[in-house]
Amino acid sequence: MTRVSRDGQGNAALESFLSPLVLYLACALGAAGVFLALPRRAKGVQPIGGLIAAVAGGLAVLGLTAANIADRPNIYFYIFAVVALGGALRVITHQRPVYAALFFILTIIATAGLFLLLSAEFMAFALIIVYAGAILITYLFVIMLATQAPTEDAMEGLADYDIEAREPLAATVVGFVLLAVLSTMVFRGLGQVTPRGDATSGDEIVAMMPGRVETVLRREGVLQSGERVALDGETGRPLIDVKARTITLASGTDATRLVPWPPSLTARNVEGVGLALIGRHPGTIEIAGVILLMAMLGAVVLSRKQVQLDEAEKSRQARTLAQSMTANGAAGPGAIRGGGVA
Amino acid sequence: MSATFDPLMVTIAQAGAPAPMAGATLAHYLFVSAVMFALGLIGFLTRRNLIIMFLCTELMFQAAGIALIAFSRFHLNHTGETFVIFVLTVAAAEAAMALALVVLLFRRRESLDAEQWDEMSG
Repeated sequence: MTRVSRDGQGNAALESFLSPLVLYLACALGAAGVFLALPRRAKGVQPIGGLIAAVAGGLAVLGLTAANIADRPNIYFYIFAVVALGGALRVITHQRPVYAALFFILTIIATAGLFLLLSAEFMAFALIIVYAGAILITYLFVIMLATQAPTEDAMEGLADYDIEAREPLAATVVGFVLLAVLSTMVFRGLGQVTPRGDATSGDEIVAMMPGRVETVLRREGVLQSGERVALDGETGRPLIDVKARTITLASGTDATRLVPWPPSLTARNVEGVGLALIGRHPGTIEIAGVILLMAMLGAVVLSRKQVQLDEAEKSRQARTLAQSMTANGAAGPGAIRGGGVA
Repeated sequence: MSATFDPLMVTIAQAGAPAPMAGATLAHYLFVSAVMFALGLIGFLTRRNLIIMFLCTELMFQAAGIALIAFSRFHLNHTGETFVIFVLTVAAAEAAMALALVVLLFRRRESLDAEQWDEMSG
């Protein structure tokens, strides 16, 4: 059995047996908690279910932490993960759709925090702008548009279909069996996955941006006035050697000098994402544009106001059209149009 | 936890090139992603409100996004992050279409109950 942990010391055999066991125990407990927390008519059961699910989450964290003492994520990971998963639980258990949507926004913001921890700053802010700012507001609009007027017999103005869950036991079992399988894969298969790429791969990106190199060099005090990054006479590429970590500066006509690569000169996340997006996947941007266009057209066609005509109205219009056609048969299409509108 | 609490580690947005991530940390992120996916699945299967069902699909999109970005960070390769941009695009397109459909269905039956439309299952 492959273990994720890298520290060779300790009771390895017992640990590798124990940590999946703790994880499965947490899965079973979590299933019970989520089952109890799902919407139901009985009062007071939901908070207990939430508490059990929280205990299960704590147990899972304990199992994960015990499995790999050496490489633990920092404390912010735990905070964001707890907020994201708690919000997600509340999305599926809250009886009021508006609150479910608001908890989903909470989940989005916590997920953006996780993205920041993964040094994906661009995606973190794009997520907040696109999801919390645009998609969820659309959801809130639709929830408020499509809500039944409260009736006397309805419980606290809740619609009947929001009060009770459908097939809660079967769905919870299916969901947590899937979770157990997925987490087993994470635990047993991850040891075989080796990270590719190295920390200096971002330097290739920087080497394409002489303007940014000059800014960093000026801030470091290396670049003197009148100097700039030398360009290759034939290709027009900046003379920056990534392997040797040197930059060629040119001042005036022929005077050049070599400066070492400053340590603060590294690629930013946005630069990497932008280059990967435009450089490696330009076709997918086109496809994304087509998808968005089609969705826009589809939404317009679907939500168009349909004029309902009853049978009497339809036959009346047909009759006037037929009359105008027989009366002004030789008068041309202009007369037909006039008759149809009248 | 406090024994390994390093102020350097808590820098939220690491400036510059990130160091390679350890496999164990990847496991944590993938576990969070798996739990979020399972919760979205359970919500989609149990809730009867059409709008909440679509919210649960968005939850599953989020879970996929966390896994993609965690792997992108693990391999120090930005392709995973560009995939998340397309996930966002598809989610936005899906929200526009699905919500237009929901409004249309609500106009017909004055209800958001998915079981009102069970004759479509054949």
